[in-house]
Amino acid sequence: MSKKNTAPKRSRVLVMRETRVSYLFLLPALIFFIGFVIVPMILCLVTSFFKYTMGEFTFIGIKNYVEMFKDPIFLVALKNTIMLVVVTVPAVTLFSLWVGASIYNMNAFTRSFFRCVFYLPVVTGSVAVSVVWKWMFNKYNGLFNNVLVNTGLMDEKISWLGDERFAIWCIIIIMFTTYVGQPIVLYVAALGNVDPSLTEAAEVDGATKLQTFWQIKWPSIMPTTLYVVIITTINTFQCYALIQLLTSGGPNHSTETIMYYIYYQAFKLNNYGYGNAMGIFLAIVIAIFSAVQLKVGQSND
Amino acid sequence: MKKLLALLLVGAMSLSMVACGGSSAPAAEEAPAATEEVATEAPAEEAADTAVAADITLWTYPVGGFGDAAKLQAVLDAFAAAYPDINVSVEYIDYQSGDDQVTSAIEAGTTPDLILEGPERLVANWGAKGKMVDLGDLWTEEVTADIVANSAAVEAACKSPDGVYYEYPLCMTTHTMVINKGVFEAADALQYINEDGTWTTENFEKALTAVKESGLVQQTGIVYCGGQGGDQGTRALAMNLYSGQFTNAEHTEWTMNNEAGVKGLQQLVDWCEAGILDNDPGIVAGDEIPLFTNGTIAMSFCWNAAMPITHAEALAASGVEAMPVAFPSEDGVPELCGGIWGFGIFDNGDAAKIEAAKTFIKFVCDDEAQAPESVKISGYFPVKASLGNVYAGTEDEARMTTFANFAPWLGGYYNVTLGWAEQRTAWWNLLQQIFAGDDVQAAADAYAETCNAATAAAAGN
Repeated sequence: MSKKNTAPKRSRVLVMRETRVSYLFLLPALIFFIGFVIVPMILCLVTSFFKYTMGEFTFIGIKNYVEMFKDPIFLVALKNTIMLVVVTVPAVTLFSLWVGASIYNMNAFTRSFFRCVFYLPVVTGSVAVSVVWKWMFNKYNGLFNNVLVNTGLMDEKISWLGDERFAIWCIIIIMFTTYVGQPIVLYVAALGNVDPSLTEAAEVDGATKLQTFWQIKWPSIMPTTLYVVIITTINTFQCYALIQLLTSGGPNHSTETIMYYIYYQAFKLNNYGYGNAMGIFLAIVIAIFSAVQLKVGQSND
Repeated sequence: MKKLLALLLVGAMSLSMVACGGSSAPAAEEAPAATEEVATEAPAEEAADTAVAADITLWTYPVGGFGDAAKLQAVLDAFAAAYPDINVSVEYIDYQSGDDQVTSAIEAGTTPDLILEGPERLVANWGAKGKMVDLGDLWTEEVTADIVANSAAVEAACKSPDGVYYEYPLCMTTHTMVINKGVFEAADALQYINEDGTWTTENFEKALTAVKESGLVQQTGIVYCGGQGGDQGTRALAMNLYSGQFTNAEHTEWTMNNEAGVKGLQQLVDWCEAGILDNDPGIVAGDEIPLFTNGTIAMSFCWNAAMPITHAEALAASGVEAMPVAFPSEDGVPELCGGIWGFGIFDNGDAAKIEAAKTFIKFVCDDEAQAPESVKISGYFPVKASLGNVYAGTEDEARMTTFANFAPWLGGYYNVTLGWAEQRTAWWNLLQQIFAGDDVQAAADAYAETCNAATAAAAGN
């Protein structure tokens, strides 16, 4: 009787020990996560209810949030950010899916070549990428103006980044080139992992290539698509560096994004509380977008 | 065996964590990433008699040669020899990210002891927010008289409206514009510029037309407004055309929406529409200057005494001969924006460090032998009349004499007006709006309203 009781007890002790060791292994990462993510998030939330500047720290309740929706520049920034998401996310997802589907079954060398080409802007760094794009968009010596004017496609040179009609589209083009690298690599891997027996069976049953793709491959790569859509959405919502390096939100706030406006309020004007309120709002919007995408993706799975 | 391995791993991780995060050393001992420690191992007998002993940090913006580690090292070596008990660590910051670094340091409580910059930051920003030490004891009657003898505007700029000195100045300059002398000569436009480098608005327009018609350059000049970089140039241009004023005499109210200011802004719009001048909301001065130095455009609105050295290589490569000139004005009497640079001390609550920082300032700015050298390193002009012409007999003498001729037109230093940061953003946004076709008066009114609201908020009204 006592032997029977000892065995589960010993196993429980062993499980406890293993669990403890597992948690100890997790501890370093957890401490960093709490210190650099959770604590700042809580501080951000708390200070968003304060008039927090370089010389003042006064509780003002939800005044920052109310102020935010009366701020015309914030509303423009919100509109611009949503526009970036609405245009960039589908464009990046569809393009990377197309490229991934086109190159995943090529030979290893060609596949690696294309992966390198598309991944290069990702590893180059936003500052270097921005400098090159800024030169290409330059009104006086830029590549685009020189080519378009010299070929007769345009009569006069355009300040691409300085014209309200084009600036946001220039940002979208740059974002597009820097965002497609990772999804393409992921799609190539995901498509390569689709069970070939399923596609062969479909082909034997007379399915066309298109039918095979949508009925067999597409459901198989849905988790990857979901990841790509959510990550691209988050990255687009957080678009800051390109704006800071290329347009400072101009011309006439036409490229102002929420992230850049948060930076401007917090670092240029020292309105930390107001900036944090906008940060909390942005986090909520991203969470809602991500949850909806996740729900839609799972229901289609 | 497994257990032993697990224990070893956990032990190693715990140790590494303690090593990573457990330091209780004061922040000042942790050298910043781009920090250069100055060796201070001079023998005691060689050192000057001083009781001050401390480790201090200096953050310097690229104020002429003070942004060049090799040039600043000479100053640091001289100081280390004179005060071996004071260690100075230097971090070089730039105008793109420097303000953000300082803001972060202020909030984190890790500000440097010393910082080298101008009154718009030291006095109107950090000083006004109570982050700086009162340097009144350095401003003796003798020093004040010496500086005022050169320019009363410098003394006024270094103190807050309530009379507290937050900056101890070292050097100054006037911001000018610059033309491509070769192009102007070939276009027969040099005739519109007076011998002293001044010109009238009317002649400026004639020169723009002549240069444009010559076809020697892609464009005459560009009113850049893509951001705040080099905005002193576009402000000086718009302000001088019809003798507008950015602020009132007391620097308490923004006034560019007055008749003269709006007329100047409207004139810029008209010239752009006529095609004899261009505007570009996609670039800042940092982009415009290379277009001048490579010969694409015939003038730049952002120039000063240090620029010929900074851009010497590009100018030599393109063969552009840079000729500094004043900003055009209706009566030919310009009012130029100035640059005043000096030291401020962050109030870190450590009396020894503050004393050491003041010792460093006095050595760099007041020491009989060092002060002229410090000014020469900056590439600008001394704020003290007693230092005279520090460039006499040097290879820089001719260049500096040219720029010294602009000193009489130095205007009021309105950069110390509260709400300066908001004003800078509002300014380039104003230019973008008027060049996009917005009504100039309405845009200028909105600009003044934004700036004055910021000034009132900063003043605690």
